[in-house]
Amino acid sequence: MYSKGLKNKEENTIAECNCTGSDMTPVISVVEEVVAFTGREKDKVIPILQEIQKRLNYIPSEALKHICKITEITPGQISGVSTFYSQFRHIPAGKHIIKICQGTACHVKGANLVSDAFRRELKLAQDSVTTSDMLFSVEEVACLGCCTLAPVVQIDEKTYGHVSPAGVDMVIADFLSQVSSIKKSTELKNKSSVASEIRIGLGSCCVAGGSREILSEIIDIRQKYDLDVVLKPVGCVGVCNQTPLMEIITGGSSVSRYTNVRKDQVEDIILKHIKPGSINKMLKLRINDLVDTFVSDRKLNNPALVPHEKREEILISFLQNQLHIATEKSGTMSPESLDEYLLLDGFSAFNKCLLFSDQGELINIIRESGLRGRGGAGFPTGKKWEIFRNSVGDRKYVVCNGDEGDPGAFMDRMLLESFPFRIIEGMLIAGLATGAENGIFYIRAEYPLAVSRIRNAISLCHKEGLIGDNIKGTGFSFNISIFEGAGAFVCGEETALIASMEGKRGTPHLRPPFPAVKGFREAPTLVNNVETLSLISWIINHGAEEFKKIGTAESKGTKVFALAGKVARGGLIEVAMGTTIRDIVENIGNGVARGRKFKAVQIGGPSGGCIPESLADTPIDYEELIKLGAMMGSGGLVVLDDADCMVDMAKYFLTFTHQQSCGKCTFCRVGTKKMLDILERLSTGKAISAELDELEALCSSVAKGSLCGLGKSAPNPVITGLRYFREEYEEHTKGICRAKKCQSLVKYMISEKCTGCTKCSQECPVNAIAFRPYEKHEIDQQLCTKCDNCRIVCPENAIEIVNINATA
Amino acid sequence: MPQLKIDNKEIITAAGTTIQEAAKSLGIFIPTLCHSDEVEHYTSCMVCMVKDQVTGRFLPSCTAPAMDGMNIDTTSDEVTDLRKKSVELLLSEHRADCEAPCRLVCPAGYNIPLLNRLIASGNFIKAAALSVDQTKEEPLWCINCPGYCQNACRRKKVDTEISIKNLQIYISPPENKSDNNTEVTGSQPANKPAKPPRKNKRFASLTGKMTESELKEWLKECDADNKRFQAISDNESARQEASACMHCDCRASENCDLRELGEKLALKNTSGKLVNSEAIKKINRTANLIFENAKCIKCGLCVRLCEDSTTEPALCFINRGFVTILSEPLTNSFEDVLKSKTKECIEICPTGALSWFKSDPANETKL
Repeated sequence: MYSKGLKNKEENTIAECNCTGSDMTPVISVVEEVVAFTGREKDKVIPILQEIQKRLNYIPSEALKHICKITEITPGQISGVSTFYSQFRHIPAGKHIIKICQGTACHVKGANLVSDAFRRELKLAQDSVTTSDMLFSVEEVACLGCCTLAPVVQIDEKTYGHVSPAGVDMVIADFLSQVSSIKKSTELKNKSSVASEIRIGLGSCCVAGGSREILSEIIDIRQKYDLDVVLKPVGCVGVCNQTPLMEIITGGSSVSRYTNVRKDQVEDIILKHIKPGSINKMLKLRINDLVDTFVSDRKLNNPALVPHEKREEILISFLQNQLHIATEKSGTMSPESLDEYLLLDGFSAFNKCLLFSDQGELINIIRESGLRGRGGAGFPTGKKWEIFRNSVGDRKYVVCNGDEGDPGAFMDRMLLESFPFRIIEGMLIAGLATGAENGIFYIRAEYPLAVSRIRNAISLCHKEGLIGDNIKGTGFSFNISIFEGAGAFVCGEETALIASMEGKRGTPHLRPPFPAVKGFREAPTLVNNVETLSLISWIINHGAEEFKKIGTAESKGTKVFALAGKVARGGLIEVAMGTTIRDIVENIGNGVARGRKFKAVQIGGPSGGCIPESLADTPIDYEELIKLGAMMGSGGLVVLDDADCMVDMAKYFLTFTHQQSCGKCTFCRVGTKKMLDILERLSTGKAISAELDELEALCSSVAKGSLCGLGKSAPNPVITGLRYFREEYEEHTKGICRAKKCQSLVKYMISEKCTGCTKCSQECPVNAIAFRPYEKHEIDQQLCTKCDNCRIVCPENAIEIVNINATA
Repeated sequence: MPQLKIDNKEIITAAGTTIQEAAKSLGIFIPTLCHSDEVEHYTSCMVCMVKDQVTGRFLPSCTAPAMDGMNIDTTSDEVTDLRKKSVELLLSEHRADCEAPCRLVCPAGYNIPLLNRLIASGNFIKAAALSVDQTKEEPLWCINCPGYCQNACRRKKVDTEISIKNLQIYISPPENKSDNNTEVTGSQPANKPAKPPRKNKRFASLTGKMTESELKEWLKECDADNKRFQAISDNESARQEASACMHCDCRASENCDLRELGEKLALKNTSGKLVNSEAIKKINRTANLIFENAKCIKCGLCVRLCEDSTTEPALCFINRGFVTILSEPLTNSFEDVLKSKTKECIEICPTGALSWFKSDPANETKL
């Protein structure tokens, strides 16, 4: 996750500490403490910096200097590293940090307007990111992974979804009121004998949707009525657009599901299924809200009264077109209980593997299954394992790549949060098959829940004797540790990932040498994506043949996608390879929202491309997508409608890649910047037609000449844009944006529909609309900042966005 | 032992040999900016790109090892175009002048800044010799010239332009001035001045638009308090006026790999024009080292050269992506860095980003 804001203003300098002598002692002692814990080696630099920032809120320069004094870390190294990764701050931040998600899904739903609104509301000066009272800092972050709730804002630990620019004052007020109230304990004390079970999703989306509040409410109600019920937090169900999701299981097998549960509805819902309790008073509740149920997120008022079929229809159609392998048993398994995983056949694949006399046979099974890397490029996993097995080294490492940084993707986070044991099992099998004895989870530090779940899972497995030395007396030893990434998209590239684990700037290097031959600490290193590892146990259990049956000729098995954007139902989905894009958008996603026109899907994030609706019958397949100029990528799938501008999309992704470029090779460092410059000119109507050719030539050079995958694939969003939507690019050279998205090319106008209700005037933050009751209002174009507030509040839809350069 | 073809020539090399080294042994030269045998491979500039016709992939030849069965192409249009593009991209953020504006516009191509430096250092004999040298027994063209140089002088944007014309005339020996076009008097431009023969101009990078604060950086190049003279009457006034010259020409103008490459690839003169480029700074260690950030191509040669120095802070890269810059580490000042390796770093720098701040102008190349 890149973060703009706290860093970019101070980019070039590491602030001189303005502490006086007496204040400095704590800094020194914190450094001493941290270093005593982490160690003094050069490769400890990132964990040291992370821990210091955790304790001090930022990294003072005194701390940096002292680290160099007491460790092997050099000043050059620490300067380079601490300014490379987005996570590290060199200036103090406000007490609370407002993270405004700029992920793809949030971007298409107007995140920049939300960002502007926060800056305005907090009265931040031009270059400042922190309020003068040091209460709030504003940060723009690449993706919070709650794409289905877009636009999303996170203040400290509290996440707000569907934030509208006009509502930021309410968000801030709500947060401040939360801070003052005391948090309820959500401790779970389950009774021994139970009749019913309540499952509540505790994936990040559910938590963002408010599932923790629901959980504490359930605990209260259980106490209040002394209900005989087990509370079970489960991982992600995938129906992220309907969070929080609550399931009530009664009589052992009867399942009732509720989506979009609100705190005030919990009581009704529980009492409907679980006695005692009178339901008389509930029947009195209004029936007229029924109609709106499920269609709107907000109007949902009393799901307890919605008929069962109607209530679950949405889930059924969402789920029936999917095939769950990596996400098998989603929503039924507790991510924190090893016992339960074992009960559900967990580690049976690993046990099977331990019995193989020739563990190299395992590689044959994986090769036979046709499994390809799910990180994006699709390198055959069996082949990679084989190269790695044949590499000789005193130590060999298996790394699980969980550095998911793609804005608009949250598959890896969900898998790590929901299926930690399955991924560990996959890693153990990889180690067994290839003769490696060390495993490392590389997880973004921005995924704290994933980190803690994996940490918990490792410790449970250790206790159970599934990880450690001489596992189950077989002579096979395998130890697993965790490395937290520090915020750099480029570290998803395996050589950059290894550089960062070694305590260096995350710059990739040319392959060969491949990490499988020479990687982490010069030792052979197998880097596999989270999703790849999560498929291993299924393949071993069911056999290569079963896996091969799913999918297309060259792409076998399933793929997990984060479906978001302008789709009615988004979420984490898993489909068989070969499923068409249209199937996903229309059958699983239920088409685009609010009767707009389905225009394109953005697949593969910043490395992928926009595939137009006319090609939506293309099946999901590595080669098919490459033919279209896109890429499987890690699995972000953002649906766009006719209100989305293709130039704006390309600009959005290039802004991202140019900020995330490591800066090493010319084509990526300068080339992406130059492409971005041209796109900026296009979106402001300044570019001429000839620049499109220049842009096209530049795309081809950057794709050919960049060092690593990030640069090579960075032009894809532009290439597909020019290929499928060239007329839109041409229109921009004439100053017209048909989607009315490019702010410089449009203006806000009030039409004859205006009744003079004055709402817009009251809402306008810059007084661009004069207060004239019962008269048609006018917008002063000189003052208007195009914040969109007036259009949102207008009850008559009288405010229109029109092209400035439109021909009559 | 990998066996491969480079430009259709067969070669067998030792395992681990790079494509560039293999090509060299065949007498095929592949340009590079970021590679040196003295330090580790880094693969940054990408001007050494070649194409493997077997896989269709483009490879940086300085790092990519020669592999069995490769069929490397180093000369096709496709490869040359890609190299051209990489140099163009480097130049698009290269907000730097190879030549001073005054010299660029001088119809006779006189090395004005060098003459200024010679005068400023008090070396009048060498200055006069330079004047004679570049007029090549022809009359001094300045007398007839309307003074394009003074119009282009960057000092003009700070206060007033250097009196280049008068300095040139002052230092020029009498015999060069006597044999003059008759209609010219004093410093008044003639109606139809005779034109000097056009010299072949070299490829040059241009700075482009500068901000006010950037202009101030140029003042660091000269003595701040010297008096200014429009009319040059004696050596002292000449010396003082010449000292106001801001050294707009690059110190590495005759010794720059980037410029040579631009020339070799027949690029047009370019000015850095990327939006939000780093502001130009001239960071100097008094009388010793100067670092000009805008001339840095981020090849990292100096960084790698002094990477593992434990005795003194080394230069390092900070930030990421387009805003990556070469910097001194932590809050150490530039004064503290690479003291013992200054010479090596300046020598290894492929452009004029790291140079000696003050050197004897008498040792500079004249043309």
